[in-house]
Amino acid sequence: MIPNNIADEFDQCIKCGLCLATCPVGKELFLEKYTPRGKIQLAKRYAAGDLDISEHYRDIFAKCLLCGACSVTCPSGVKLTDVLVGMREEIVRKGGIHPNVEPAVQSLLVNHNISDEDNSERGEWRDDIKELPDHMYEKERAEVVYFVGCISSFFPMVQSIPQNMVRILGAADVDFTILAGEEWCCGFPLIGAGVPEKMGELIEHNIEQVKGLGARKMVFSCPSCYRTWKEYYNTDLELFHSTQFIQRLIKEEAVSLGELNETVTYHDPCDLGRNGGVFDAPREVIESIPGLTLVELENNRAQSICCGGGGNLEMADSGLSGSIARNKLAEIERTGAKTLVTSCQQCIRTIKGKVRREKVDLDVLDITDLVVRAMSDA
Amino acid sequence: MMLDPIANEIRSIVGDEWFLDTPEDLAVYSYDGFLPEFKPDGVIVPGNRDEISKIMRVANREKINIIPRGAGTNICGSSVAREGGIIITFHRLNKILEIEPENMCAVVQPGVVNADLQKAVTGYGLMYPPDPASMFVSTIGGNVALNAGGPRGVKYGVTRDYLLGLEVVLPSGEVIRTGGKALKNVSGYDLTRLMCGSEGTLGILTEIILRLVPSAPAKATLQAIYSDLDDAATTVSAIIGAGIVPTTLELIDRTVLDVISNYGGARFSKEAEALLLIEVDGEDVLVEAQGKRIEEFCKERGAVQVERANTPEEAEKLWQARRTAFGAVASLRPNCIVEDATVPVKMLPAIIRKIVEITNKYDLQIGVLAHAGDGNLHPLIMTDLRDREEMARVDKAMEELYEAAIGMGGTLSGEHGIGIAKDRFMRMEFNQASIDLMRGIKRVFDPNNILNPGSFL
Repeated sequence: MIPNNIADEFDQCIKCGLCLATCPVGKELFLEKYTPRGKIQLAKRYAAGDLDISEHYRDIFAKCLLCGACSVTCPSGVKLTDVLVGMREEIVRKGGIHPNVEPAVQSLLVNHNISDEDNSERGEWRDDIKELPDHMYEKERAEVVYFVGCISSFFPMVQSIPQNMVRILGAADVDFTILAGEEWCCGFPLIGAGVPEKMGELIEHNIEQVKGLGARKMVFSCPSCYRTWKEYYNTDLELFHSTQFIQRLIKEEAVSLGELNETVTYHDPCDLGRNGGVFDAPREVIESIPGLTLVELENNRAQSICCGGGGNLEMADSGLSGSIARNKLAEIERTGAKTLVTSCQQCIRTIKGKVRREKVDLDVLDITDLVVRAMSDA
Repeated sequence: MMLDPIANEIRSIVGDEWFLDTPEDLAVYSYDGFLPEFKPDGVIVPGNRDEISKIMRVANREKINIIPRGAGTNICGSSVAREGGIIITFHRLNKILEIEPENMCAVVQPGVVNADLQKAVTGYGLMYPPDPASMFVSTIGGNVALNAGGPRGVKYGVTRDYLLGLEVVLPSGEVIRTGGKALKNVSGYDLTRLMCGSEGTLGILTEIILRLVPSAPAKATLQAIYSDLDDAATTVSAIIGAGIVPTTLELIDRTVLDVISNYGGARFSKEAEALLLIEVDGEDVLVEAQGKRIEEFCKERGAVQVERANTPEEAEKLWQARRTAFGAVASLRPNCIVEDATVPVKMLPAIIRKIVEITNKYDLQIGVLAHAGDGNLHPLIMTDLRDREEMARVDKAMEELYEAAIGMGGTLSGEHGIGIAKDRFMRMEFNQASIDLMRGIKRVFDPNNILNPGSFL
């Protein structure tokens, strides 16, 4: 059964097709079924009993980044993402989890992380840090918990992010800790996989861990963890994305930044910008670095185009994800900037992966990479 | 239903991948931006003109209906399989073939998106003026087939005015070329313009030659609020009467302004009964002077508030109300019918008064948006298709509106097209001889009546 709130959304669609203009998947695959309007109408037809959930039907809904571009484009205010996520849930209820996504879900439920590794290895990114304090950032009590996230913990390409974060927080004398092996996946991939009901154990565990530390604030370098905590964790903790937290530290003059003479462009990650509402913090951090010039992408802020790494698409259809990354790279190259800054480890993986394969002359940095560079010059 | 051997023959022409007949594909090609839906028997996504020609030969031989569809954004139902048949789409024919600044023209395939062309020619200091609200999605092929207009129409005209030539596949499969890159061309009947606005009933466009114009270096954007709708309407006539041709002259009435405010958009003063959004473009000195004169016109004719944008950001802010209008209105009731009866610009005050009268008479919710500068109205009828009693009143109201518009020297449709939305009203605007002539033309092109049958005529 399709929940009423989902039906209310697709009943509101007037089929104008304006969402076709901003959907990265629709623009790449162009057939109507892959466009947001097409998917909304397919949902409506299923609810009306005119269509069954076939394998083809399931694959159509898997070809979506859940980036939310359609929702902000819709002139009638249809919350398309709610329908797209809701249909993934319905598809799982009828036919099980998408076979390409199933292994990740199973591993996540067993290992409590997305990477199929033993969760006790979650803190191994610390091995490369030269002057590691004795507590190794694992304190018994702290005011702030830094939630690292699965990808930054386990994927070497982006382990510089937590390494930077502890350096920045340390330099600013923030009383913080990490959860290390007791940090479990926030549950975000389960939403895209259509099984949000399986998040319960993860949420409970994470909240219990944080509470046990007496923390009042949390900082996330992953926009999707940040958003998931905001939307699915019922907590009175103060939640910050790294860009917001660093922006505060800069304002309070807790970190000092030296000059960097570079031109950079900035990519708004979907879950931080459009879906999380954080547009200004990263820009203020970038602009507070003396000498740095920011040139905006053609499509920025709420209009930012997904890098191709959203919605579990990489698992369901890696080729499509790659084509969308190629389009993103082309947009970045048109700015003329040789450095791309973003604030999401998944965007970095997707874009940097493409840059390496295509041998493009582009430096891809997380905003924490940039801040650490500027700190070294201070 | 289509027979398997024919489907296989089509597959052998376009390749298995490009003949779609899964339940999912048939469902999503059963609609466009209008209300009724009809499930087609298949969908073809051809890759070139020769494939289209071969398909038409098969379709003509087997008498299978073929319905061309661009992006499916039209709101008159001109791209649905009303009498069954196969939808043909142009997703793969999306190349801009040439941009020639020396000839001020571009050659494009039908699947090119309007806004993509606009963006591509900007680099040459040129513009392609037709700017339908669907421009970020709708295709040039669809724009030509529907003779699309847009807010810039007051000054720049519509698609027809930028059409130089075409390549067309006829229902027989034969290929013809009309017009060319020459700006002047009077040889023979004007088949180019006959195709324009033919709503996919005469032939399939495979190449389009478009005229471009230099882009204007400057523009001025103004917004005027009125406490009396009549004052707004007379300002429109005054501006046009004074020989100023704005690029845009949009009117929004109180009903729509209220909806916009409630929707969380811009807020307007309580006394606001109408809003005019006015834009002029051209050389900066001229634009400056015209901007000032328009401001005076508005004030002299009772505007209670006039705002003039000094920066592109301010201009964008003034456009905000107009841009959110349709979505805001559409979200109010289950359905929204966007009307587009059009009158000579001088009759604007009269037709707006008529709409207010009709709204009260039939107890309906109708808001008025208008491309006021060219008399192109967009009454927005907020309704519920499931409510038969109300729909009967809507039908009567529309009929009365068309009669009034045509009586004033206007037309059923300014820019949306006839399709299946207004075919039953064609007799109001055309006498029997005209309709016979149009049907005769259709028979010459398409003797077996396989191209978009059931639409338009």
